[in-house]
Amino acid sequence: MEKYLTKNFDVPNSETIKAYLNRGDGYKAVEKALKEMTPEQIIEEVKKSGLRGRGGAGFPAGLKWSFMPKDNGKPKYICCNADESEPGTFKDRQIIERDPHQLIEGLIIGAYAMGVNTVYIYIRGEYASQAKILQKAIDEAYENRYLGKNILGTDFSIDIYVHRGGGAYICGEETGLMESIEGNKGQPRKKPPFPAGYGVWGYPTTINNVETFSHVSHIINKGADWFKGIGTEKSTGNTLFGVSGHVKRPGVYELPFGVSLKEIIYEHAGGIRNDNELKGVIPGGSSTKILTDSMIDVKMDYDSLMQAGSSIGTGAIIVMDHTTCMVRVGCVLSHFYRHETCGQCTQCREGTAWMHQIISRIEKGEGEIEDLDILLDIASNMEGNTICALSDAAAWPVQGLLRHFRDEFEEHIKQKRCPFTDSFLV
Amino acid sequence: MPTFTIDNKTITVDKGTTILKAALENGIKIPHFCYYEKLSIDGCCRMCLVEVEKMPKLTIACNTTVADDMVVHTHSPKVMKARAGVMEFQLINHPLDCPICDQAGECRLQEYCFEYGVPHSRFKEEKRKKKKRFSIGEHIVFDEDRCILCRRCVRFCREISKTGEVAVFSRGDRSYIDIYPGRGLNNKYSLCTTDICPVGALTSKDFRFKVRVWFLTEIESICPECSNGCNIKICVRNNNKIYRYLPRQNDKVNDTWMCDGGRLSYKNILSEDRLTQPLVKSGDKQTPVKWDEALSIIAKGFKGKDGKPDGPHIGGIASPHFTNEEGFVFQRFMRDALETNNIDFTVIKGYKDDMLIKEEKAANPRGAKDMTLSPRNGGLSISEMIRGISTGDIKILYIIGSDLMGLEEGEMILDSLGNLDFLVVQDTHVSALSRKADVVLPSATFAEKDGTFTNINGIVQRIRKAVDPPGDSLPDWKIISRLSKAMGYVMEYNSPEEIMNEIAKEIPAYKDVNYKKIENQGISVG
Repeated sequence: MEKYLTKNFDVPNSETIKAYLNRGDGYKAVEKALKEMTPEQIIEEVKKSGLRGRGGAGFPAGLKWSFMPKDNGKPKYICCNADESEPGTFKDRQIIERDPHQLIEGLIIGAYAMGVNTVYIYIRGEYASQAKILQKAIDEAYENRYLGKNILGTDFSIDIYVHRGGGAYICGEETGLMESIEGNKGQPRKKPPFPAGYGVWGYPTTINNVETFSHVSHIINKGADWFKGIGTEKSTGNTLFGVSGHVKRPGVYELPFGVSLKEIIYEHAGGIRNDNELKGVIPGGSSTKILTDSMIDVKMDYDSLMQAGSSIGTGAIIVMDHTTCMVRVGCVLSHFYRHETCGQCTQCREGTAWMHQIISRIEKGEGEIEDLDILLDIASNMEGNTICALSDAAAWPVQGLLRHFRDEFEEHIKQKRCPFTDSFLV
Repeated sequence: MPTFTIDNKTITVDKGTTILKAALENGIKIPHFCYYEKLSIDGCCRMCLVEVEKMPKLTIACNTTVADDMVVHTHSPKVMKARAGVMEFQLINHPLDCPICDQAGECRLQEYCFEYGVPHSRFKEEKRKKKKRFSIGEHIVFDEDRCILCRRCVRFCREISKTGEVAVFSRGDRSYIDIYPGRGLNNKYSLCTTDICPVGALTSKDFRFKVRVWFLTEIESICPECSNGCNIKICVRNNNKIYRYLPRQNDKVNDTWMCDGGRLSYKNILSEDRLTQPLVKSGDKQTPVKWDEALSIIAKGFKGKDGKPDGPHIGGIASPHFTNEEGFVFQRFMRDALETNNIDFTVIKGYKDDMLIKEEKAANPRGAKDMTLSPRNGGLSISEMIRGISTGDIKILYIIGSDLMGLEEGEMILDSLGNLDFLVVQDTHVSALSRKADVVLPSATFAEKDGTFTNINGIVQRIRKAVDPPGDSLPDWKIISRLSKAMGYVMEYNSPEEIMNEIAKEIPAYKDVNYKKIENQGISVG
């Protein structure tokens, strides 16, 4: 298993341009792209590689890039989404902290391919030290003429700006992010129009996740065929799995798509803490539906997880052992979405709050049996009916929990209390 | 021009038309809260979700453009479920205080609840409490509890009044509408927000709790406060009392808006200082008389020693508040019955903006001009007439309205009126002018008569009688034609419509104007 994204994470001062250039292939992909390839060839190569967006939705990156209008005579923009806020997700932070030039190189190649001269990296407000590291790396890239006017002696110019968010989950939604960059309240825009036609400042914009851009230099260096050889047919390449929760070795693991969830938990993350019993796993960040211990043979790729009734999301694996109260999990998750919804769409504004109220009541031992069907009905009224996917993201975990752990909810209702002694009230 | 199917109906619409617009124009109801024709599309209320075949999810009708061969279902089970869902979400934290809410009768939430809602509540939690009935502006009370966050008011203040004082604050279920610190919802059009607020959140301080709206009859008319001619509905109870004006849609004139000043001007009609009886001066006092007596005194006063109208010494000052018909009758009376060309009018000027409010503070200065109420054939202008008083050239004045007092020399004019032999003032309200008159004739306001106004852009629009004139007061056209008869010059008219037919013959620009054509959107005379 070849690692490429995290390969140099442990090199001393890996975040510096010196270390990046010392590897031999640092910024070589930019040289190759700008001097030997046309923009169309780059987009074609990315398309061919099968690279899918690593921000959660898994949209093919090359296809997205090809939506950008060519020679339209107006500004175009790239937004790099570093607003990593989905509970359980912390992979982009590792890239920014430990190999930021890999990201910058991907951004330069992407910008050149799409005819973009201005790139915004929107980084979540809480990533204060990471923003500093990133800015330092950008400054180094300017000093070494990889950024700025006429880079590498070509007529291509590029500027990258780091834009710090104010700490809102909704600003990680692509159009909410653009609103935020423009200085407006972070609220997703209705679609259409789509960002490729009407993005930041009303101009064509492509937005991708930090990790997505970080794959690009490797695809250019080693070719689409090499990339396609990793992972599965429809989920190509390595990806970063962020494992958290009740495991012995939580952390970020770079593995090819298609690896089994069991292998990630038991081999890479060292198994369950205290060798406890596994109870449930959220496979792709807090919005993805929970899986039970009997489902962990599932392969971690887009299609397999969809078949399992969940989603790979951001590859953020949250592991829970038998001590976990699933109602309490529901409380925590629904509170998160209640707190983070922007509140413009009726279903999401009211539904997130109502679900949280009901689940909290059940956790307190004041639930009634019909509450469970009400919860599912609320979730179904929220799902798919709103401007952005936050409403779905709030509905799915509740649906997942009730699908696999309904008996535990019922037990709370029957006993009129939380049966888990170490659980606490919300 | 795409052709599509909606609820099994095949419809062809202009390119770029949204499903919602196409549906509304074709009599298909799609419920909506945040969508408002004259504001940008928001898409947040999610009430207008419809099912479009081949689309994976329901889509909002307000923001989905019709495409060829689209098949839309507005009442499918999936749609009805989503709508019931939105209604439930809107209502769980709503105070449900309909019995004491003044929006009842024109509340979207209430209406849709009957049509699409679920009759019982599943909500067992404690309702969210927000601020109740606080003053958000000079004319407006805000009830945060009832607000459904459709953001129509926010968009109105950003896009229409361009004042931007209102916004949604906070996030999620803590969201609330408020004004920015230190500001109030006090723009010149603020009461429009109470029109477009689909629920009882923003209500008019002036109108709230005065009357339940289902007791009101709406009469189509024109706002008389400036020359823009905003289309309005006069809301009346029992045919005798006006409770409010509402703007009425006319895209050529005022879209669906009107200014607060115009809207609240109905109070003038109800005011205590209305003239309700003809008055004749006796000594220092003015005493009420019957119409016949007043008219015969005037008929006498307008004549010279030879018993003929004292034409050269009479001046007539017309009113820019006249309907076209009244202006026409007035000038005929002056020129034909009194044989004078001394006719003029003036308009009070004031605040204007680049939206609706015009500088001329009268409904019909343009019509007055068209009806030739300015001096012609050597006739004297207002200033010449005033000068004529001191030189003895003008001995008699017939003044309609009190717009003269808006002139810079108003006070001077008032003083010089004492030198006249005979002064007749015809007006709706007591004024400094009417107090000086030998005879005062009480006239009806625009709301008490029929007729037409021509707005600043030459659009002729109808006003309709909404209430009876108070006391013995009469519409100007009736007074003038009676006076004319008393003078021995018969101008019999049964209705303003009849006068308009004569105007169409006499005044070239109005040759195509008739009441049928004017309907409720007016016609242009260029």
